[in-house]
Parts: sequence; structure tokens; C-alpha cells
Amino acid sequence: MLRYSFELAVHGLRRFPKSTVLVVLTAALGLAACMTTLTLLHVLSADPLPGRSQHMYLAWVDTVLAKPSDSEDMALNGFKNKNYHRIKLADAQALLAARRAVRQTVVVDMAADEVSGDGKHTQSQQFILATTSDFIPMFGVSLRYGRDWTLAEDAARTPVAVIDTDLAQKLFGTANAVGRSVRLKNTLFRVVGVIQPFVTQPRFYTLSVGAYSGDGGENLYLPYTAALDAGLAPYGTDDCDASYKGSINTPIDPTRCASLGVWVQLDTPQQVSAYRSFLQNYAEQQTALAGFDKKPRSELIGVADWLKQNDVVPDSARLNVWLAGSFLLLCMVNVAGLLSARFLRRSGEVGIRRALGAPRHALFLQHVLESGLVCLVGGVFALPLTMLGLWILRQQNNGFSGLAQLDPAMFGALFALALATGALVGLLPAWRVARVDPGLCIKSE
Amino acid sequence: MSLRTHVSTLRRQSLMPLLVLLQVTLACAILCNVMFLTWQQLEPMLAPSGVDTSNLILVDQLNASTGQWTAVEVQAGALALREVPGVRAVSAAHSLPMVFGTTYAFGMQGPSRVKVGVNVYAGEGLMKTLGIPLVAGRDFQPDEYRGPGGYKGAPMPVIITQALARKLFGNVDALGQRVADPGDPAGVGYQVVGIVRHLLRNQFSMATQGRADDSTLMPQRVGDTPMPVYYAVRVDPAMREVALRGVRKAIQRQFGARLTAGAKAQVSFYDTRSSVAFKSRRATLELFAGVALTVVIVTVIGIMGLTGFWVQKRTRQIGIRRALGARRSDILRYFLAENALIVGVGVALGMALAYFGNAWLMRYYELPHLPWTWLPLGAALMLLLGQLAVLGPALRAAAVPPVVATRSV
Repeated sequence: MLRYSFELAVHGLRRFPKSTVLVVLTAALGLAACMTTLTLLHVLSADPLPGRSQHMYLAWVDTVLAKPSDSEDMALNGFKNKNYHRIKLADAQALLAARRAVRQTVVVDMAADEVSGDGKHTQSQQFILATTSDFIPMFGVSLRYGRDWTLAEDAARTPVAVIDTDLAQKLFGTANAVGRSVRLKNTLFRVVGVIQPFVTQPRFYTLSVGAYSGDGGENLYLPYTAALDAGLAPYGTDDCDASYKGSINTPIDPTRCASLGVWVQLDTPQQVSAYRSFLQNYAEQQTALAGFDKKPRSELIGVADWLKQNDVVPDSARLNVWLAGSFLLLCMVNVAGLLSARFLRRSGEVGIRRALGAPRHALFLQHVLESGLVCLVGGVFALPLTMLGLWILRQQNNGFSGLAQLDPAMFGALFALALATGALVGLLPAWRVARVDPGLCIKSE
Repeated sequence: MSLRTHVSTLRRQSLMPLLVLLQVTLACAILCNVMFLTWQQLEPMLAPSGVDTSNLILVDQLNASTGQWTAVEVQAGALALREVPGVRAVSAAHSLPMVFGTTYAFGMQGPSRVKVGVNVYAGEGLMKTLGIPLVAGRDFQPDEYRGPGGYKGAPMPVIITQALARKLFGNVDALGQRVADPGDPAGVGYQVVGIVRHLLRNQFSMATQGRADDSTLMPQRVGDTPMPVYYAVRVDPAMREVALRGVRKAIQRQFGARLTAGAKAQVSFYDTRSSVAFKSRRATLELFAGVALTVVIVTVIGIMGLTGFWVQKRTRQIGIRRALGARRSDILRYFLAENALIVGVGVALGMALAYFGNAWLMRYYELPHLPWTWLPLGAALMLLLGQLAVLGPALRAAAVPPVVATRSV
């Protein structure tokens, strides 16, 4: 019975090849548009560090000795006052020294020329991450060669560095660069370990230098203490003390500018609430703030909330999904219409089959199968179209589209979507044709 | 044929018209939104620059290793540039059109308390070098060029665009009027000394929805501040390439040794920069145009397929009408009118869907508000497409001979 319906369905499709092609193409277009935008959104909103991110929190206390700035000029010109919840050096050191969390680390992006120890190779203006010994275990960065640096080396301000294999290859011509050294400014940093290139998408721990990076993130990691000793300065900052007289061209002074991010690992809800009250307590002890109309403020924000608070997933990506979804709906209405026309053209033949005893459900099944087939074939054609769509998206130079790649999960979702829409779209025309009155049709023939 | 005849026909066989209606509704809503998004990409590209863009060289990325250039260094640089063969005028500036290193964002407040965010171009002799024609008022006078903080207690003279003048002062003549700083409304603010027709702002994300011309010129001595320094250089049209090479050499000679390590001054024509600056916008534009075209094609195919079938089904009725004396043109008009009726209802629903859909999405996402003026545009386009799509089937219907009525198909 099913087999017979299936054969009839295939036969029906082959009878009007031109209109079949049209219907299949329409379905494919709708599916591809929807899939392309969904894939991009899926990539952008994925968990940046699965298994770890739910235990990571950004710790922030407001200790900047300045009145809150309200720049109307900026607001009028559409600039948002971005605060990446960074803090000043002394506070970061105090939070680290307290060791109230399972793990705690400081992250500061810096920009520097990386020169191989022999002076032969240079990578100019690269992002490096000044951090602490906890970063590599906390973020689960995998070491290829050597070791990460120790708490003792942090404390002793030892000039050591961990680089990734790409940089090792570029500077030393070999991935195993342990024991070599890299010159930053005028200080030689000894390479103690080599890691696989590491970057999370989005780069939630240093959003200030761009949430999504198509070409990777930092390629060198070093103790922030040693970095500051070498005269390297933070790349960006939130507010600075009112007494600070720096400008865009002078190096940022981390002692007076909130330029260090503090990330902590807290495994249980008890730890989280304990840390939260510790932070608030710390903020309340900052008596110097009273002169600047500031209440003691602290925040402990999880990764997901942090990404949401910063609108990391661009709204345009979400809007595109809505647009593509409506386009799919349009295509499906179109397919339903074309199929209805095609099915009802056969009213006479359906009438005869009914008169000869074919039950309604058999006719219904045949036509649902036919429309399901159309959408399935459409799904097959949608795959190359989706690839094309993603390729077009990657040509868009907006900082995040470059990440659009189809993964197996989305590939499967495409076919599920195709089947579901096929069945759904077929229901109306199939129901309509199954209702054909046998007597009337034969009479009019 | 009266409207009632159309409606009663449609009601008897409602599946086909309903599907067409649904398609038109969706397509209209999508098209309105996509056209608006496309326009937002297009607006800064189409906005007049206000500047004489040909033969204008811009110099940027002069990053001083000491953190700032002195006024003496800046003047020496300008002098060296003026001596380059083919150079007609040189201006040093802290911000320039089509240079994105510095966006000078100011607020301005008119007498009606309306506040406008503007981009400012500040430098020496910019009117002449950039080739901006004055509509009213005057250029800055030599003694009006002062360093930062040079206008404490006195209003700073500014030259604004016509569009900005209209926003701030309405129909009142802006020339000579005071403009307040929204951050310090009681302060001296600025005084309008000149008005220019157009001046494209260099913050393109804000150059939409009629804000492309929200820009202002300010007189400023350049140097002795940590702000980046740029040069605008007007050259002889006959000596473009020679002058470009000369300017590059002069910049290298004057500043090369004192740039930060790894920095390289960028010297290029305005037109080169604008084509680079608009590159990503063009890519987005092509994408949206492609989407709009696909929507149009899918809709037209859908309407054609459905109406084609529906006309075919009514071949006998058409034959009867023809036999009873209806002319070909009557049949043609009938199907065109029927289509217009269905599409008209669909378009009305589609406009509502576009508007409220946009308003609903705006509650959750940071999206620009869809101005209602886009709705009739989308509607008109859909009506036109509907008539085009039905033309083929309607002509076929009109060609049905009266004799069909006498045959039993």
C-alpha cells in the first residue's frame, strides 16, 4: 500500500518535470536561506568554552576615583559607553592574593612586536595576553611542549612566556620552541611552553579587543607582572582616576586606569554567593570613593550573562534569521500553491480512482508523499545553496560572518527541516484533493 | 464587472486566492524590510560628500613616537608639502572627511532645545583645501585659528551644513546665531559664521536616516596635543601622480624618522579611500539586493502558477462569457482587476505585518525603526509585480474563443 502510494507519487512528480523543477527549486531556496542564517546564529551563540564556562565569573569592583562620566556628545552620536568591567592593578592584586576562588586569574591584552631571540624574525603589532599561572589550567588550554609557568614565577616576576605553535613556527621555524626566547620591547622572555593556538568564539574573557576573531586571538601568554616590568602597557582601558592625565597616545597606566579583567572559577552555588559577598565587602571598604558621589559597587557575572550584557551576538544576525524564516514561509506557501494547482489538475483522474474504490486516505497518503518528496529533493539541492550562502556571508567584512561554517549537526537539522516542511506543506493540498467528489469530476470530464 | 461579482467568485473557490493573498502578504512584509535595510547601507554611499573629491590627497597614520607632534613640526610638515611640485593647497587637521582614525563627536543644541549629534572636522584652512563651496556667511579668519582651549569664555565660530542649520533653527536664518553645547547649555557655545551645502560625516554608522550631513567645521591650530595629525593636500589635476609621489616623499622625509616603530604613513587620494571605505557596504548591499530579487522572483512564479491554473479551470466560463458578448478586453480587464483585488488586500495586510513585525522585533533587538514611508513603496511594487505576473495567464484567457462554450471539454 505504502509502496504503491510511493510509486504513484514518484510517477506524479515525473509527469510534469518543468513544474517539479520549479517547486523543488523554490523549496531549496527557502531552506537554504533559513539554514544559512541559522548556521551563522548557531556559530555566534555557541558556548565559548563548553564544560568550563558555567563555572567562570568575571569579578568587578568599582574603585575608579572619578565622577561617573555622562557624555551626552557620545550618546548623541550613537556611541555606547562601553564598560568592560576591568579594574585597577592594586585591586586585581588584592583579589588574586585573597585566593577566595578555586582559581583566579588576571587578563590584560597588550600589543607588542614579537622578535625572536636572535633578532632574525619579527611579528609586528601582535596581541599578547598578560595573565597569571592559573590561566592555562583554568581555561583548559592544551600544552604541546614544555610546561606552563608557576605561581612562584608569577610572584618572582620572572620573564617567561608560553607561545602557540603558529608563532613558534614563524619565529623559530619549529613548533617545539621550548628554551628559545622572544624579545618584547627590551626584555627577553624565555619560552617555557608551547600550546595549540587558543581562542574561544566569542573571546569572552577579553571582549574589549573584539568579540569574534576570524584570524585567531593572542599568540603569546606571559605573567602580567613580568609584562609590566618590561614596560608593556594595557591595550585598552575603562575609566581612569580623575587625577590621571594620560591621552590616547600615552601608554595606559594600570595603577590608575581600570584596565585588568579578573576571572575566577567557582564550582558550587555556595562558592558563588560567598565570593559575591566577599566582593561587595571589598567594595565597601573603599572609603576613598565617597568623595566622588559613588556608592560601593561590585559585580560577579557568569559567562552567559556577560555575553548577553554586552550584546555580543549581533542583533543583525538575529534579524536575518527572522527575515530568512519569513522567506521560508513564503516559499512554503508558494510550494503549497503550486502543488495544489498540480494536484487539482488531476481531479478527473482522482475522481475515477475514487469511483473505482480507492479510499480517501490512500489518495491523501499518495499526495503527502509527493509533496514530502519534493521538499526532500529540495533539501538535497539546498545543501550546495547553503554552502553558497555561507560563502557569500564570509565575504561580508563585518568581523563575525567569517566564522560561518556548516557543521554536521546543522547539516542534519537541514534535512529534518526539509522533511518537516515537506509534510506540513503537503497537508493542505493533499487534503483538498482527497476531498474531490468522484461523481462530479467524472461527470464534468 | 462590479466588485460584488469578483468577491462572490473568489468566495466560491477560496483556496487559490487565499494562497495568493498569503504569499503577497508575506512578500510585501519582507520586501518593505529588506528595501529599508538596503537603503540604510546605500544612504552614506549616495550622500554627497560636499567636498571637491577629485585631486584631493589625504595623509594619515602619522603616529609620533613621542606621543604627539608639536605645532612647529606640523607647520614644517605643511611647508614641506606646499613645496612639492603640483601641490596647490595644504591643510593640517585633527579630523578629516573619509579619514576614520579620529571621529570627533560633538553635540549641538538649537534654540528649540533640539539636540543633534555631529561629527566635526577641525583644522587649518580646510574650506579652501577640501574645496567646500560656501552657501552663506564667510570662511574662518586667520586669527580665529586657535589651539585647544583657545575659546574659553568666547563662542567658537563654526561653519555648519544647510541640513544641520535646518535641524537646529528650523526656518530661521542660522547665520550669526548661537548654538549651545548640550553638556553646558548655559555656556557660550558656538557661533555660526558660515553655511555649506553638504558635508558628509566620517561616522558612517550614523550617516543614515537623514543624518549624513550632520557635520561641522571648526577652526583649530594643529599640533601640541596628543590628538592624531592629518593632512589634506589639493593637487593640480594635470600632475596627480607626480604630486602623489612627491607628497609621499615629503612625508617620509619630514616624519619618517619620528614615527613609532612599525607605523607607516598612509598617503592616498580621497576617491581611493572612499572605494575602500564602502567596500564592505557594497558587499552587504549586493547580498540584500540578491535577497530582494529572490523574493520577487519566487512571488512572481507563485502568482503565475496559481493564476495560470485558476484561469485554465475557468476556460469554459470564459467561453460562455465571450459567447454572450464579452470582448477580449473585458476578459483581460476582469483578470487584471481580480488580481488587483487579491493583491490589494494582501498588500494591506503585508504593510501591517511589516510595520508591526518591525515594531515587535525592535522591542527585543536594537534595530532601526521602519519609517512608514517605506510601506506604500513596498505596496506599489507588489501591486505592479502582481499585475505583471497575471498578465500572461490573463492574455491566455482573453484568447479563449467563444466556441469553447459549445464544446464539452
